[in-house]
Amino acid sequence: MGMLNIEGLSFHYPGSTETVLDGVTLVIPDDGIFGLLGPNGAGKTTLISILAGQLRGATGSIAVSSEPLESVRRRQPHCLGLVPQECAFYPMLTCLENLRFFGGVQGLHGVRLRQRVESVAAFARIEGTLKRRAGQLSGGLKRRLNLAIGLLTEPDILLLDEPTVGVDPQSRAFLLDSIRSLAGRGRIILYTSHYMEEVQSICNRVAIIDRGKVLVSGRLDEVLLDGSGSLTLRLRAPLPEALAADWRTRYALREEGVARYILRVQSETAAQVIEAARAAGCEPLAIDYGRRDLEQLFMQLTNRSLRD
Amino acid sequence: MHRLLALWNKEWLALARDVHGLAVLFVMPAAFIVIMSLALSDVYKDETGRQTDFSVLAAEGPTLAERVAQRLEGDGFRAVPAPADEAAARAGVRQGKPGLVLLVPRDFERGLREPPDRTNPSQALTLLVDPALPPAQLAVFQHRVLGTVLGLRVSAAIRIPGMLDNAGAFDLKRVATLSVEAVGNPRAGRPSSVQQNVPAWLIFGMFFVVMPISSLFIVERREGTLARLASQQVPNSLLLLGKVVPFFVINLGQALLMLLAGHTLVPWLGGEVLALPARWDLLAAVTASTSLAAISWGLLVAACARTMEQATVIGGVGNILAAAIGGIMVPRFVMAETMQAWVDVSPMAWALDGFHAVILRQGAAADVLAPCLKLLLLAAVLFAITLWVHHRQRTGPTA
Repeated sequence: MGMLNIEGLSFHYPGSTETVLDGVTLVIPDDGIFGLLGPNGAGKTTLISILAGQLRGATGSIAVSSEPLESVRRRQPHCLGLVPQECAFYPMLTCLENLRFFGGVQGLHGVRLRQRVESVAAFARIEGTLKRRAGQLSGGLKRRLNLAIGLLTEPDILLLDEPTVGVDPQSRAFLLDSIRSLAGRGRIILYTSHYMEEVQSICNRVAIIDRGKVLVSGRLDEVLLDGSGSLTLRLRAPLPEALAADWRTRYALREEGVARYILRVQSETAAQVIEAARAAGCEPLAIDYGRRDLEQLFMQLTNRSLRD
Repeated sequence: MHRLLALWNKEWLALARDVHGLAVLFVMPAAFIVIMSLALSDVYKDETGRQTDFSVLAAEGPTLAERVAQRLEGDGFRAVPAPADEAAARAGVRQGKPGLVLLVPRDFERGLREPPDRTNPSQALTLLVDPALPPAQLAVFQHRVLGTVLGLRVSAAIRIPGMLDNAGAFDLKRVATLSVEAVGNPRAGRPSSVQQNVPAWLIFGMFFVVMPISSLFIVERREGTLARLASQQVPNSLLLLGKVVPFFVINLGQALLMLLAGHTLVPWLGGEVLALPARWDLLAAVTASTSLAAISWGLLVAACARTMEQATVIGGVGNILAAAIGGIMVPRFVMAETMQAWVDVSPMAWALDGFHAVILRQGAAADVLAPCLKLLLLAAVLFAITLWVHHRQRTGPTA
């Protein structure tokens, strides 16, 4: 399919002075899953809505390789699939009726429609619930039906807007495995979520946006690299207060949860610090040097202030 | 007690924030009080202020016609100029203008001076009646006609020697016959109440598609399916047309069912039978026009309403008010004249005119053309506004 190039995309709602997207530039290749992160109101859903053609009036450009997305969609009307945040289907219809409807409304019919319905139902493992009313399904099954509908036309561009929100760990794991299996094959996948560990586990590229601006974008491993000599320790027990006070002064120690610490140390000092913790009876359970996790990066870039 | 106070407080707060619910509670009864009080003001007056137009067409010429008309005039009946001939009289009554035409046969005056004979064709009067006229008014007018004939007979008898001694000469049953012909009504009699009510409540029911249309639309918007369909490049026009056909079929089903109920169920329960129309094509045209107007109205309400409460207020209450104004709840002929001027504001009145033309008056294509055109024009305008609202919403804020 090529790359999805978003360049200088800006948007504000009519009658509002607030800019929801402010010159967003992103390059989303077709070789994996692109994670889009941001606090509530950052502009993620607006960006997805513009890409999906639900919202008009944005300035800037959106192109697949060098061809405008609009022109690509005119040529291939169903090249884009959206799995929205809401379970966007008819609760009073059965799963099968929903799949047939959304397939039919996108031009699928006859044998092709039947094949696609069977295929996506098998993919989302909802074959056993096809005759049940969609509104009566559990949260996990609803999410799976939501995903299945988005895949009916085998889209080359797939937009997944928080597709795992509100489901149990088993369903989440299944959904993540399923989504992971969709990557590659020349498909562009944009994935938004509030769950950092999800993004970290399935995305190979990420971007963090806040207040309509891209704060960071790139390969996940590059983005998580930390050149400031950050040492993250998860210990069996909290540090004794005296030692913690000493390290606060010497290594800018800060606590991140119970018995979890982040320090700034030179690489040659890191081993001594770990040894000192062990000597104080605080056996290290996990050690990470020179690399942040996504949550740290996210909180660092977006600050801790509430957005809602 | 504190817990009860907390519950009361919560209820008040919830009520105060439900402006649409409050509007239903306060605005609707207020509107009904105004509309119904105005509409029924004449019914509660001692003397009727309502006027029913009539004319007299005498084969012997306008002089006799004017004399008869002068005697008939008054007490709610107003004489209007006589039509040129019987055909014109029938055409006028078919449209309810005027509601009554009395046909006086040739040699009527001569017959008044002759001995009474029921078979004398010169004494056989015909009253052409608009079937939409209330039966009570028709009965009053019939008695006025017979009273007038008797008066004329007495005037004539005074000048004929010996006639006053003949008691049978003033037997109303022998002096003249009056046959009533409801123009366009196949029963050739008075319209039944079922013929008045079936079209009225059918229209009311058809316009109530606004509720299912808007409730489904609201579910679609709330669940995000509308947004999903937009992302799947389903055009708004297609989306709306996708709703028109099913509800059109429902409206046709309503029409068939209501006619069937009037024709079979009502007489089975002891009521009068609904005489079915002769021109089913015209009935189909009126039904289709009404349906398209009702559906377009439903689509506009659905596009504008964000919640079921809003849909109920705009759609449901709007329909009830349109029915009250449009002669559905209170027939037009019962309304005060000032109120009758407002009836045509309501699209339900246009539809009722169309149905009356077909079912009551057995009208021709020309009789249903105006109501159908008005309804279709309204449907087109409402549909265009709905498309514009949808287009605007696409560039507006999302939830």
